Amino acid sequence: MQKLVIILIAFITSIISAQSNYEIGMQKAFELWGSNNPIEASNMFERIANAEPDNWLPAYYAAQVNIVNSFSLKDEKLLTAQLKNAQNLINDATAISKNNPEILVLQALLYTAWVAYDGATYGMTMSPKVEAIYAQAEQIAPENPRVVYCKAEWGIGGAKYFGQDTKPFCKDLERSLELFANFKPESPFHPNWGKERVLMLLESCKE
Amino acid sequence: MKSFLLSFCLIISNLLFSQSQISGKVVDEKGVSITGANVYLQGTYDGSTTNENGEFSFRTNEIGTQTLIVSYVSYETYTMVSQITLMKDLTVKLREDVNTLDAVVLSAGTFQAGDNSKVNVLKPLDVVTTASALGDFVGALQTLPGTTTVAEDGRLFVRGGEAEETQIFIDGIRVFTPYTPTTNNSPTRGRYSPFLFDGITFSTGGYSAEYGQALSSVLLLNTINEPDQDKTDIGIMSLGASLGNTQKWSNSSLSANASYINLAPYNEIFPSRNNWIKPYETFSGEAVYRNKFNSGLLKLYTAFDATNFELTQEDINLPEGVHFKLNNNNLYFNGSYQGDLNNTWDVFAGLSYTLGNNDLKITDMLINDRETAVHAKLKFKKRFNNRLKLNFGTEYLALHFEEKFSDLNPGTEIYGYNDNITAAFVEADIFLSKEIAFKPGLRLEYSELFKTVDLAPRLSIAYKTSKTSQLSLAYGNFYQNPNSNILKFTQDLRPQNTLHYILNYQYNADRKIFRTEVYYKEYKHLVKYDTEFAQFDSNFNSNGFGFAKGIDFFWRDSNSIKNIDYWISYSILDTKRDYNNYPYEAQPNFANTHNISLVGKYWINDWRSQLGFSYTFASGRTYTNPNTTGFLNEKTKPYNSLSVNWAYLISPQKILYASVNNVLGFKNINGYQYANSPNADGFFDRRTLQPAADQFFFVGFFWTISEDKKSNQLDKL
Repeated sequence: MQKLVIILIAFITSIISAQSNYEIGMQKAFELWGSNNPIEASNMFERIANAEPDNWLPAYYAAQVNIVNSFSLKDEKLLTAQLKNAQNLINDATAISKNNPEILVLQALLYTAWVAYDGATYGMTMSPKVEAIYAQAEQIAPENPRVVYCKAEWGIGGAKYFGQDTKPFCKDLERSLELFANFKPESPFHPNWGKERVLMLLESCKE
Repeated sequence: MKSFLLSFCLIISNLLFSQSQISGKVVDEKGVSITGANVYLQGTYDGSTTNENGEFSFRTNEIGTQTLIVSYVSYETYTMVSQITLMKDLTVKLREDVNTLDAVVLSAGTFQAGDNSKVNVLKPLDVVTTASALGDFVGALQTLPGTTTVAEDGRLFVRGGEAEETQIFIDGIRVFTPYTPTTNNSPTRGRYSPFLFDGITFSTGGYSAEYGQALSSVLLLNTINEPDQDKTDIGIMSLGASLGNTQKWSNSSLSANASYINLAPYNEIFPSRNNWIKPYETFSGEAVYRNKFNSGLLKLYTAFDATNFELTQEDINLPEGVHFKLNNNNLYFNGSYQGDLNNTWDVFAGLSYTLGNNDLKITDMLINDRETAVHAKLKFKKRFNNRLKLNFGTEYLALHFEEKFSDLNPGTEIYGYNDNITAAFVEADIFLSKEIAFKPGLRLEYSELFKTVDLAPRLSIAYKTSKTSQLSLAYGNFYQNPNSNILKFTQDLRPQNTLHYILNYQYNADRKIFRTEVYYKEYKHLVKYDTEFAQFDSNFNSNGFGFAKGIDFFWRDSNSIKNIDYWISYSILDTKRDYNNYPYEAQPNFANTHNISLVGKYWINDWRSQLGFSYTFASGRTYTNPNTTGFLNEKTKPYNSLSVNWAYLISPQKILYASVNNVLGFKNINGYQYANSPNADGFFDRRTLQPAADQFFFVGFFWTISEDKKSNQLDKL
């Protein structure tokens, strides 16, 4: 009987202490991404998105992995395929959570990937879209650090292209740093990235 | 008892945790393993990514019947519904997605411009940054092979065809009067401002069964679905001014655009060969309203323009010249709805209305032309799967033309006719694989005017010969009713007909495109008459015929030289026809043998400027010299023109733009006009037909006011 009790206790505790599948999955996916396995990470996020049809986060991250990855691509076929996939994932996330500033930022980054790939071809058509999205995101969430910093980084890119002063955008970057300090994500898995990038960008502001 | 309980518990926990192994291998159609494919059970967390050998393996607690999903970028997603226990040592074969960038494209005869197509010969900006084009999309298309330079006309002449043989469509709906009126020695322009369009397809032959009443070519313009933001555009030009405004709401948007052109100040500074009494003046306005619904998009487009001018032009037979006065009003409306009926069915419905009114005074003749036209189309698209799509639909074209003619003789003559056409079409898009695609189509047309029924089959085939190249073939049968110059005098004819045979080779890699096309075109049932011009007492018949054959070459390289983008087009054309007043088969005067275009663009970052040039060469065109025997027996000297332009971004929202057409001042000759009767020496005198002006200068300042302070009108220039 003692053995039975032990087994039962062990059985029950194992169930109670166990994290939810969602948490395990998300952690695993972030680990994969962190250890430079973007394909496996994005696959994992996609699987979680598939199992959690009411949660926008896994689709968001799956899209983000694809977009971030595409900035280094030089093969147009691969880039097109990957960004098409990312766009589908963004559409999925948007269907779950509308007017979400985090997803809007991601959409702007997707268009930016096209401009970064071939400014001459896509600059004129994509730039107004990016501008419009940041304007919309800023209206919804003026205090979101990613909205402020991504918009500023885009502004710096444009100003450099046109040979204009980038200083006004550095002020926005500094403001985003304050916002980062006060930003509380809704859950451990909600977006909370970008601070390191701001610090890096601010370095070049000092030059 | 203890041991029983223990084993019972173990069995239970075993049952709870009983896991099955799912394993297998993912390969492509050729059996090559796919690495990185996502394999999982639908609705669960259980899944894996294939390794470098394409193998996957994972454990699951699920039991019974489950759905296994295998997905990979650029491949069709694979679904398998089965017992978990059977999902062992699977071999999953993924089919290539034919909707990817490297799939074969049905390209024979077709040029695409815009973001939305796989092989772009022109980029969206090219339409408006090509030096010779002066912001006119028709001008930009004239740098593509297959077109002929007819400098004094400016319309699209394609592969030995007349300008009327090219039809223009906005959002799939016909435009009946696409060109602005002009004097007979300066080129016309497209009526519609290029910045409302984001996709242009120019087909020089072998086009889809959806389009009819075009013997040679179709030009498909698609208006922008959704503008990006609210903005106001202001343009001040050496020729006039323009003002545009876009308002955007959550599901709808409205863009309006107005422009005013007056050539009086320009003519003061740069006198032309025309003796102006009232210089060219035009006012035009356009508006597009778009409304997005849950599963569809409604677009309403309307345009109005009014043009007038009056002048006296030289004439060899009239020492006092020809007095010419024109007043033209044109109204165009186009409404369309495109939407999904469900996952696999799409519907498109569109309607256009055109009202064109022309008042002409030529010496003592007063002519009033009035054209009203309606085009209605209903089209369905059924998607069976990624590889098989079916398009079918029906359309109705109704054209009413009336002309009032009066001269010194008393009374007014009235000519007119109704040309109504009903058509139905069906077409399938079939992809056998990423390498082979077919597009068979059939079009049936009934002409109320001639009481004829014609069946027009179309077919195109494309085959991918390597990763970067492909071969395409196109065949088509095309019908078109004669134009108003003929039909106003007689309706006892039949539809004109062409047959197209096209073979196309295309290479596309690293932002370099090469394409070449060989074609043969056969004309039948062209209109003939027995007088010098078509007139009320001519005898007409449909016995005209002709042919056109040739080779087109196109090369574009946007990659090899930094900041330089250039393209070269070369067309060689051999064509003859026996139609109109021709005594026998001859090369018409709008079709020359060699056409070359060279267009280059250079972006200078430090100057924030784009410099562009465009060079056109066209071999001589035929004319009839009555001092010798024969018809269209002599040729003019070749045509040459070099145009340059400069766009300077003062700030992201302010642009200064300047261009000069024919900067080297070539004295081009369009043809000759001979005297009706010989002079005292028995010789026919002639007058050289020259352009109104050898050169053309343009300066403009464009300013965009928008919230983001970024967008500008570069895409408009």
